[in-house]
Amino acid sequence: MQGTMEKIDDDTYELFFGPAHPGSGNFSVKLKVDGERIVSARADPGYLHRGFEKLMEYRLPLQNAVLSDRICVLESLAWNLVHAEAVDELMGVEVPERAKYIRVIMAELSRIQSHLIWYGIISIGTGFDTGFKLAFGYRDFILDLFELITGGRVYPAGYICPGGVRRDLPESAEEKILNVLDKIGKMIDFERAENPANLARLKDVGILNLKDAIRLGATGPVLRASGLKTDVRKEEPYEVYDRFDFEIPVRKEGDAYARFQIGLEEMEQSVGIIKQALKDLPDGDFIAKEFSKPKLNMKIPEGEAYIRNEIGRGEAGVYMVSDGGIKPYRVKIRGPSFLHIIPVLEFLLRDAQIADVPAIYWSLNGCPADIDR
Amino acid sequence: MVESVREKEIIENITKNFKVDVGIQRERRIWVKSPSEDLIDLCMFVKNKLGFKHLSALSVTDWPKKGEYELTYHIWSYDDKILITIKTMVDRENPEIETVSKIWGESSQIHEREMHELFGVKFKGNPDLSPLFLEDWDGPAPFRKDFDWREYVRNEYYSKDNDRESAYFGRD
Amino acid sequence: MKMKVVPKILKNMVSKPITTRFPHESNPIPDGYRGEHSYDVDKCISCNLCAKICPNKAIDMVEAPEKYKEKYPKKYPRVDIGKCCFCALCEDICPTGAIKLTKNFFLSTFNSSDVIKDPIPAKEVEDRG
Repeated sequence: MQGTMEKIDDDTYELFFGPAHPGSGNFSVKLKVDGERIVSARADPGYLHRGFEKLMEYRLPLQNAVLSDRICVLESLAWNLVHAEAVDELMGVEVPERAKYIRVIMAELSRIQSHLIWYGIISIGTGFDTGFKLAFGYRDFILDLFELITGGRVYPAGYICPGGVRRDLPESAEEKILNVLDKIGKMIDFERAENPANLARLKDVGILNLKDAIRLGATGPVLRASGLKTDVRKEEPYEVYDRFDFEIPVRKEGDAYARFQIGLEEMEQSVGIIKQALKDLPDGDFIAKEFSKPKLNMKIPEGEAYIRNEIGRGEAGVYMVSDGGIKPYRVKIRGPSFLHIIPVLEFLLRDAQIADVPAIYWSLNGCPADIDR
Repeated sequence: MVESVREKEIIENITKNFKVDVGIQRERRIWVKSPSEDLIDLCMFVKNKLGFKHLSALSVTDWPKKGEYELTYHIWSYDDKILITIKTMVDRENPEIETVSKIWGESSQIHEREMHELFGVKFKGNPDLSPLFLEDWDGPAPFRKDFDWREYVRNEYYSKDNDRESAYFGRD
Repeated sequence: MKMKVVPKILKNMVSKPITTRFPHESNPIPDGYRGEHSYDVDKCISCNLCAKICPNKAIDMVEAPEKYKEKYPKKYPRVDIGKCCFCALCEDICPTGAIKLTKNFFLSTFNSSDVIKDPIPAKEVEDRG
């Protein structure tokens, strides 16, 4: 942990966590500490504010799809999907079946790689370097798939675009995806093995009970680790998620270890979903006819849509309003990390020990990019 | 479109107690238009009686022609699996509204803090409305429709003499 | 589960490393990779679509150099790779396939003027002139 210490009075000091800390991203937390105990914490975002909501008002939906990659770099395809669905709903586009399956496959691959980063970052934060290197190594196999399918390793450039997907799956993709999933399966076995390093650092740390979790606006894995069985994919099935058989992992403990375990279990479920989707993958178009060639003058009918999706970090939402022009009138992006690493983190850090800050911070799996947008 | 029974029940429940416009947008989506004075009562009712516990998002849409801001509260019910959108209008020049942070707690407090910064809406009773993203910004609220950030960026940061930056001038 | 350390170490000592030694060998780049642009001025019809769709305004329509004005009288796209986000929307919208993204990703440079790609490269102008 680095930073400057400023003496406030005889007992309390101010300590910075971030913004240059490896792994915290462009984000910092100001901690007021009394000895080893944290008296209060204040999150300080804004190092990465790019004003995407406003920027999208100036651009066509097609260009916004490219922009939506950058909302959260670690989960670009998932954000592509939320944005594309909002435009689809406003325009009333009938997305072809094949595109829906490809979208699900890509979103789940994105979830797996995001959870691998989560595992890696927690490992390095709690002093287990091997886990970090393995997780990032295995993530690379998925990035190779993204490179093959979308043409870019990290930024898919709006691969999931309004109307479908920008390219069809290459012929070799199916075999390669299955091949990678086998490798990921091995990684998950390794992760699921009870690891004393993780147990010692994460067990009974940062306990969040269900009532607090709902009040603080926690969603996704954080909420599930506190005991509420909820998942947007099941409750409000988008794309073709209602056709797949998968479980929602739930824990009751609400501590950092429970959140960490939920992430690992979700990876297993995602592997299952991709295998089912590949089995049923239908033939046909991969993009709706009216979108098959980019057009500059497509009008978005007047109206509004609010889309919720389950991404790796929790609930993602896009609220889009159109006044009938070719550009959206207003876009609101609701990121899960906005609530996870501002109110939830501030709440959990109160009265915690300094040594537990990394464990709590990374167990929430925050992405500063989606707070700042 | 499938309209489930529960959605109709909720609508009936709301219209029985409040004089508001209600409608079903599609499956799992209800909207309510409420005058800003009734907002707090309506929100209390929606949370405590109907079980909408999760404030998913709070958004502001700027309508300069009408001279109004439209506030939209998107609230999800974990029991009924329905999203209700409460809309209310406030004056654009002097946007003030009661806070809902007493109802939904910290999650709504942080949403209001963000909207205060980006649109300048004053949420009366919100304990903390300090800026989140923009440091030392004392210009107009940046997400208002009449603030042209492109013009601002060109004037402040770009130069016509620089060959690579001059491309941004004179293009929309 | 106990981790069987010793057999794993022995296995790792003889197995091939997972990494590639980059400058000497490289992972194959798949087709459809979005890298540096290739542009064919003879196919171009100067329709201006690529400049309009470019999200970053990396494409600017410019006139051909003096010597080529007769052969190429219209305006042609000049790509600023420093602004480009490699989204390939220009490739998708191009009606004649004049602009395409290639597999070349070796784009880092010390000279900032290298990032601007003229429709008719300056080098070519010198060679012919």
